[in-house]
Amino acid sequence: MRTSSRTAALLAAALIPSLPAGAAPAETATGRIVAAAHTFLSALDAKQREGVLFRFDDAEQRTRWSNLPVRMVPRGGLSMGSLTEAQRTAALGLLAAALSPRGFEKVQQIVEADEVLKAGENGNPMFGRDLYFLSILGTPSEKEPWMLQFGGHHLAVNVTVAGPRGILTPSLIGAQPALYTANGKAVRPLGQESDKALALLAALDESQKKQAILGYRVADLVLGPGKDGRTIEPEGLKASAMNERQRGLLLGVISEWAGIVHESAAAARMDEIKAGLAETWFAWSGETTAVPGRNTKAYYRIQGPTLVIEYAPQPLGGDPSLHIHTMYRDPTNDYGRKVTAAR
Amino acid sequence: MNARLAAAALLVLLAATPASPHRLDEYLQATTLSIGKGRIRAEISLTPGAALFPVVMAGIDADHDGALSVPERQSHAERVLRDLTLSVDGRPLALRVVSSSAASVEEMKVGEGAIELVAEADVPAGAPRRSLVFENHHARQVSVYLANCLVPADPAIRITSQGRSGDQSEYRVEYVVGR
Repeated sequence: MRTSSRTAALLAAALIPSLPAGAAPAETATGRIVAAAHTFLSALDAKQREGVLFRFDDAEQRTRWSNLPVRMVPRGGLSMGSLTEAQRTAALGLLAAALSPRGFEKVQQIVEADEVLKAGENGNPMFGRDLYFLSILGTPSEKEPWMLQFGGHHLAVNVTVAGPRGILTPSLIGAQPALYTANGKAVRPLGQESDKALALLAALDESQKKQAILGYRVADLVLGPGKDGRTIEPEGLKASAMNERQRGLLLGVISEWAGIVHESAAAARMDEIKAGLAETWFAWSGETTAVPGRNTKAYYRIQGPTLVIEYAPQPLGGDPSLHIHTMYRDPTNDYGRKVTAAR
Repeated sequence: MNARLAAAALLVLLAATPASPHRLDEYLQATTLSIGKGRIRAEISLTPGAALFPVVMAGIDADHDGALSVPERQSHAERVLRDLTLSVDGRPLALRVVSSSAASVEEMKVGEGAIELVAEADVPAGAPRRSLVFENHHARQVSVYLANCLVPADPAIRITSQGRSGDQSEYRVEYVVGR
């Protein structure tokens, strides 16, 4: 199911629910997300609504996410497999409203990868698109903070909505297989994350590469699930030692995560990241090239004052380029606590 | 236990191993240090791969009841600490166990559950420029290591450089302690 960005935009637009007769169209992204949330909730029966809604301050549910399959780490909320077709459409409409077209497409490609994994393992019930869960913490509102979670194997999208803000940290974005064929076309859900980082690395001069490339193996995520709010001492090459073109390439890599959330929230987030760019570090560990059309097998980390991105290929008995875990964090604002704590 | 762990890993490597969602033949040991003026705290997360779990479990589960009791975890933590060394300015420091917890045996069986150790060591006063070395020799033949330190909570402490061996089993941190 490879979809172009235009197709994804059309699909996302089609999924965002139409308004009831006489209702004024939502003018803001948050308004559209809230409308989509209400459409989704109104499509559920009372028992389902009870199952999908949590208190906003439910710390256990907030942190109930993982890279692991749901059979190993159960998620809260409603599974996509438990929904009727109409309910599923409304659920996807909510997700499409909260994310950018490309972000929505990426999430769909990750979910479809799990379906490919299931098929490759003789229908292993541990995997598949039905095992992705949606939950809502708090009451969908244009003013008061609330949170939308969508996740399952290799995916944890956590969006805190607080007024005009859409805060995507922490989110785990992974894929296995990270390269598959659908409708005769190759799909790489995290292909840009790999290609753009390789392009940045290639744009560095030898002296910069010496700083950026770590002399040791990094076998896994350092700040994966369960490591909220932590900041490790940064390493690698500082963006202040990059030229303008290189900094542009770095921002391009970062945008692959920051741009998953809807456009206005992503723009605000990129402004914040740009403000701290001089203090942002890029570190690489592993091979410095990749087979064209394949993902890099190397680990990399981007770390700034309000940002941690980790890209960590996983060997686990196979080709690491086909099994990727990535983490996107703001240690100062995981789950939007900078915004919501003030309330 | 190292030889048995290595043998278990070899068996896995000799077998055909399709891509798996789980850690198989590696024993991931991730250490995060928190550096304070008078104390260093080490949080060590030990995740045995699925193929290594039976051997790791056998080494901890002394009464063979299939569960990890508090005394068994404490005893295991102390054995792990014997394989670690920590020094500041060339002076060896004694790490003591603060706590030990473990994921469920079911999670560990599939290579996704961790044993979490917390240890601390007191650091004698010294010159402002300090040099820390942490080494992890636990289950060397089958382990992969991560070693990092948190940005110090005390603003008077500043990390000036970090260095590691290729496998991260040796970690060096230079830091400055201000007033």
